[in-house]
This record gives sequence, structure tokens and C-alpha cells, in this order.
Amino acid sequence: MKLYLQVAKNTWDEMTTYRFNFLMWRLRNVLQLLTVYYLWLAVTPQNGHIFGYSRSLILTYILGASLVGSIVFSSRTQEIGENINLGELSQFLVKPLRYLGYWFARDIGDKLFNIIFSLGELTLIYLVLRPAIYLQPHIGEVLLASLAILLAVVMNFFIGTLLGMIAFWSPEVWAPRFIFFTLVSFFAGGLFPLNILPLPVQYVFALLPFGYLQYFPIEIYLGKMSPLAIAQGFGIALLWSVLLYLLVSRVWRKGLKMYSSEGN
Amino acid sequence: MVISVSHLTKYYQVHQKEPGFTGSLKSLFHRKYYDAKAVDDISFTIGEGELVGFIGPNGAGKTTTLKCLTGLLYPTSGRVQVLGYTPFERKHAYLKQISLVMGQKNQLWWDLPAIDSFLLNKEIYQIPTEQYTNTIVELSELLDVQDILQVQVRKLSLGQRMKCELIAALIHRPRILFLDEPTIGLDVMMQQKLREFVRNYNEKYNATVILTSHYMKDVEELCKRVIIIDHGKILYDGALANIVKQYARNKAISVIFEKPVLLEDVKKLGKVVSFEPTKAIISIPRAKSNHVASQLLEHFPVADLNIEEANIEEIIRDVFSKREGLGIKGTQ
Repeated sequence: MKLYLQVAKNTWDEMTTYRFNFLMWRLRNVLQLLTVYYLWLAVTPQNGHIFGYSRSLILTYILGASLVGSIVFSSRTQEIGENINLGELSQFLVKPLRYLGYWFARDIGDKLFNIIFSLGELTLIYLVLRPAIYLQPHIGEVLLASLAILLAVVMNFFIGTLLGMIAFWSPEVWAPRFIFFTLVSFFAGGLFPLNILPLPVQYVFALLPFGYLQYFPIEIYLGKMSPLAIAQGFGIALLWSVLLYLLVSRVWRKGLKMYSSEGN
Repeated sequence: MVISVSHLTKYYQVHQKEPGFTGSLKSLFHRKYYDAKAVDDISFTIGEGELVGFIGPNGAGKTTTLKCLTGLLYPTSGRVQVLGYTPFERKHAYLKQISLVMGQKNQLWWDLPAIDSFLLNKEIYQIPTEQYTNTIVELSELLDVQDILQVQVRKLSLGQRMKCELIAALIHRPRILFLDEPTIGLDVMMQQKLREFVRNYNEKYNATVILTSHYMKDVEELCKRVIIIDHGKILYDGALANIVKQYARNKAISVIFEKPVLLEDVKKLGKVVSFEPTKAIISIPRAKSNHVASQLLEHFPVADLNIEEANIEEIIRDVFSKREGLGIKGTQ
């Protein structure tokens, strides 16, 4: 355990060395958030509803999505690909260390850093713009939403790891990751709640992992999901987590065999 | 025996591609593979506390052998046992007792001071704080890096970085230390310093050290025993001193004459390597060197005379080039 703490700490320290880079990244997030925020503010009537969301709910959704996004999507797994391509993986393989545990610890370090900034930004935005934020009165919903975030973190880690491990077979690891990012930015629910999509599309996306990364936890928090829908959602997300885990360990084993039969 | 390798063979599947775009297209549908024999049926054993040098040209199979020993590569066939473990199973109990330093790849975190990487290794190898502190103090003093441990690794010179790499690799006091080209790119002073350090570690902890290098100096100064490997086969395994006896059949006599002499006269004594009227280098079979030297002294106006052993680098180059000459090339 101390080992993984040290990994997270080192990751944290590493991030502070690229302060400017990191600040620019956060600035980009804030700008994007403000754009989406003002868009929804503009299209939602003062006291009316849009797609079944009141102004307060939709703004809470957008701000919440930003926070959940910071928690779920901040990751270091993109470096796994480089690690494999450059042969740096060897340095890890000769150590008594769990490689994936190492990267998960790195993710946690990265996330903590991002969460702190994200919270800071949101507080600032709240103080300046004073939107009517919806506070969930029931602790149960809050806990369930947290649990959903946890699942999302795990799923995103596995997906990121899989995308990185493509490097075992092909040096082109960025294209697939880019496609995934594009899909996520649209279908995870960061820009709009997924339930404004046509029903057939919604059905399809209910079966895919994207929505469970961002949309699902916020909807639970907003109290917009029936207990049945929540149970269903958790079922599917859990199934995906297990599937992804199995896939990750399989691909890792295969990839390692590949790696260790080539002269990397 | 700490390391025992028998009939180790490692093939890589390499796919051949014709040049250009059509070649790329063709290889999409129909790939031609051939086996490149990186290591071809080699056997050797290494005892505790030995300091063994692997030498050979690029692509000879040195690094492949090292990777099989550290568990990075899965052998195609043959048996590898290190400290009673099968390396490629990569049991943590095994990995805790070894360390690998690659001159061209670093384990230190680039953006952090070296000390942070050390701390991480402390946790990876579960080293008690006291032992860790002692080791760091001792090693950083030996290598004279106390004042750079807090400096970002990216800001260090190559030599300083290599020293820190060594410390990182030794924090857990490995019983076997694998060094792959550890002095590559370093200046002569720094190479010297690292060699001394490695020897010191070997003596102090009776650690086994396996070293690959193409700097003959590294091997000459550190290793009593060398394994010469080329095209995946072991050409020689034994004491460094014996290579000279076994392979250097000639000695070189260099003479300086007081007055100009004739080339024809000198030629009678042996093979003339270089000649100027007042200077010559003659290559003589070892057994005849004394006789020829006395002939020279007797019949020529000698100002100075030196009998030299061919240097190891030359001998080894000779060994490799003979092998090429015999047509025993790598298999394709």
C-alpha cells in the first residue's frame, strides 16, 4: 500500500513541475465549461423547462458533469503506450511490482490534482455567476452517485489501459485513443444529458459504457432516475467493468508474450 | 552455481518487407517471416561473486542473453536457472534479488529529483528505512553525488545520471547485478569511476556481476572471465589472460634504428607491418620473438627495441573477422 502511495505522490510531484502546462489544460476545461454553461443558460427559459430539466437542474447537470469528468477522465494510462513502444516496460518487468497497480496509483495521483483544481474552478464560477445549484437532499442518492463515479473511474482506467496496450501490436496508439476521446466527449454526457437523444439511440447507448462514465452518476445525483433504472444502470456498468477487467488481463498476458518474444 | 544456462536458444520472428509502398501493400496480405537466431544454443554457468564480461559486436546476442537471464525474454528453447528460479516466471522473490541497469534506458523519473525514484524503489523492494538511509548515504558518498540527489534528473549530466541510475539499482543490494552497456557515452574519467564502483560493490557484497560492453577497457579492467559471443554463439569462455595466449600467435617487435637500413634485410626476419628507413614494426610468431630480437640486436644498428603483446582489442577483432572469413555467418 505504501508503495502505491509513493507512486501517487511522485505523480503529484511530477505534475507540479509542469505547472504552466497543467494550468493551460485547466483553462481549456474552464473555457469549455463556460461555453456549454452559457449555451444551456441561453436556451432554457427563465422559469420553464427544457427536455424535462428546469434551469437549475440543467445548470447543475453541466457543472456536475465537469466535476465528474475531472474525476473520471484524468488519467495517465496514455503513457502506457509510450512505455511499451520505447521499451521502458522492461524496467518495470524486472522489478517486483504490479504494473497495472502502478498505473492505477498514477491515475489516483493525477485525479487528486485535477479534482482539487476542478473544485477550485467550480467554486470560483459559483461565486461569480451564482447559478441556482440543485442540492440533493437525500444522502442515499449522493452515495449511489459516488458509487457510480467509482465504477466509472475503474471502467475508464481499464479502457485507457486497453488503448495503451495496443502498443504491443502497433506503434500507433494515438489514433484509437483519439477516436475514444471524440466518442466520449459526445456520448458520455459532458455536453448535454443523454436523455435528450432519440429513444432508439438512447437504448443503444444504455448498453455501451460511455454514458456510465459521466451521465449516469449525475443523473442519479439529480434524482432523475427511477430505482429500476438505477439498478439496471449499475448492472450494466458492473458487467462492463468485469468484462473490461477480463479483457485487460487477457490482453496484458498476450501482449507480454508478444513483448517478450520480440527484441524490445 | 548462481546462474546456469544450458542450450539456450532464442529466435526472433522477423517479417521481411520489400521497400516502398507496394512492398507495404504486399506485406499487408502476405507476410514473409524468417527466424533470426539471436542466441543459438549457448551454455555456461556462473558462480557466486564472479564478475563476468560479455563481449561481442552489435547484434551478437549479448543483450538477448541478458534479457533471458532477467526474465524479460522467453527463451525459444533451452534451460535457464538463476538463483534457483526460472527467470521468465518473474517471481517477485527472484526479482527482489536482481537488478538490471541499461546504459541506454533509464528507470529514474525524468521530471523528479533522483531521490524520489530512490524512495519509490525503497517501497518496491520493501526496504527498512534504516537500511535504506545507510545505503543511500554510503553509495552517494562513494559516487560523490550527495549534492545532486535533490536536482531534477533531466537537469543532470549523463555521467551524474548514470551514477544515480546505479544507486537506484543497488538500493535493494541485489545478489546479481546485470549491467548492459553501463558506460556508453560516458567520458573516460567517468567510465573509470563507474568501473571502480562496480568492482567495489562486487567485492564488498560478493555480488555476482554480469556486464556487457563494447568498450574493451570495461571488460579488461573489471572481468577476470569473459564470454565472447558473436552471431549468437559463444566463441570463447574463460580467463581474459588466456585469450591472448590462445589467439595471439604473434608478437610485434618495434625497432628504431640509429642509421637507415634496407627493407630487404628486415624482411628476412619476419612479416614487416610498417617500415621507414629508421623505423620498423615486425610481426613475429610468439615462439620466435626472442630469437628475432637477438638477431636484430646483433646485425642491425638498433637504437631502441620493444616487444609488444598484441592488444586485446585487436585480438578480439581478429577473432571476429576470422569467423566472418570462414563463412560462418549468422543464419537467416
